[in-house]
Amino acid sequence: MTQSGQYNFAYLDEQTKRMIRRALLKGLAIPGYQVPFASREMPMPYGWGTGGVQVTAACLVPEDCLKVIDQGADDTTNAVSIRKFFQRTAGVDVTEQTTASTVIQTRHRIPETPLREGQILVYQVPIPEPLRFIEPRETETRKMHALAEYGLMHVKLYEDIARHGAISTAYAYPVSVEGRYVMDPSPIPKFDNPKMEMAGIQLFGAGREQRIYALPPYTRVVSLDFEDYPFDPMRAEHPCDMCGAEDTYLDEVIIDDAGGRMFVCSDTDHCTARRAAGHRGRLAATEDAA
Amino acid sequence: MQTAPVPSDFETRTNATYDALMWALSRPGLIRDLPAPGVEGVIDALIDRECAVHAGTPDLCAYAAQTGAAIVPLAKADHVILPDAQTPAMLRDLRQGSDMHPEDGATLILIATLGTGQALRLTGPGVDGHIDVRVDGLTDGFWQMRRDVMRYPMGFEIFLIDGSRVMGLPRSTTVEVL
Repeated sequence: MTQSGQYNFAYLDEQTKRMIRRALLKGLAIPGYQVPFASREMPMPYGWGTGGVQVTAACLVPEDCLKVIDQGADDTTNAVSIRKFFQRTAGVDVTEQTTASTVIQTRHRIPETPLREGQILVYQVPIPEPLRFIEPRETETRKMHALAEYGLMHVKLYEDIARHGAISTAYAYPVSVEGRYVMDPSPIPKFDNPKMEMAGIQLFGAGREQRIYALPPYTRVVSLDFEDYPFDPMRAEHPCDMCGAEDTYLDEVIIDDAGGRMFVCSDTDHCTARRAAGHRGRLAATEDAA
Repeated sequence: MQTAPVPSDFETRTNATYDALMWALSRPGLIRDLPAPGVEGVIDALIDRECAVHAGTPDLCAYAAQTGAAIVPLAKADHVILPDAQTPAMLRDLRQGSDMHPEDGATLILIATLGTGQALRLTGPGVDGHIDVRVDGLTDGFWQMRRDVMRYPMGFEIFLIDGSRVMGLPRSTTVEVL
């Protein structure tokens, strides 16, 4: 028991943690299946990562080192406030380095540095149901998952091709897990989809929608596609202007009123580490001078 | 005013126990260490008044009941705790959930001996290629029965507890008897 004025470790009470932990275990045992859970009110609004925060709170141990990213960046409002939340309520170490962290909570990116065994990646998920925009009724989508009836999803991808000549879905690109469940990878860019076959545990929390799902390490995750229109992890045709990387996911940033623009790594830790190692992009010199 | 979390011993122990269980289930076949020997710690970490438990001995029943969990027959339990595997036929009675709600399948917590006995080859999610393990203390035909009664995604999870060591076997793991 805690006295008034004190927090339970990582904010959530023990009863809630056990409930989330049981859901996480079932999620890990049935990769890609969305387990309902009794999502609690958190001291932040829905849409700010309440699902991810609850999952992280249930998994953190005092020895953990936490990293929080929002679109790849450690220094955005959402990431900073969640990091501070756990610093205060769990007293865990925090870091911005992917390699130094043991738990990474993410909003819409997978770090460029491959995760190693022992690391946990926690996703914040807005809409966990990949079929929701095709079929709004939960009773029906549940049946579709039970029957592995995913034809409609392929119809949606086909309609993309019919209209645009290519699969135009660029983020939240649906994946098939171990050939059974179709899963929403959360709104990560499809560039990140191939990274989902990794050595770390991936946990997904949707607070408002009250769903948890998970991928154990070394789980087969295949992006849906067609034989004649294979999956293409699209990437902007530029090197990073800061670190020169040609294999990372880039943000396009407008830098003046004359239409000037630059491309920069979305993963700030990866970009910083590359620059520290001496890599330089097109505009890095001007930044160093400034 | 800055307030700080004050973890109790109970909380720290159940936290570490869950961490071991989660990694055990995520990496089937790899043995994890529990902070304390025995199934009591696992009961503390997972079971509370929202659970329906079947336990194999009066002592375990009493221990599970003091968490507030309902004590129910095997076929209705979401957590089944047994000191030994009894006959493999008992696997047939375990809750397996439904196609609509496979998460309603049971969690079976068994006492076994890890590292000796029957050689098994595990494959499936969480296993990098395949892994060979040895498990002793389960009845003949256990693994055959497990394979026969489960139809994925319905099924049950197994935690094998040997002192303070644990191995997890989710329903998604294929077990081949070597």
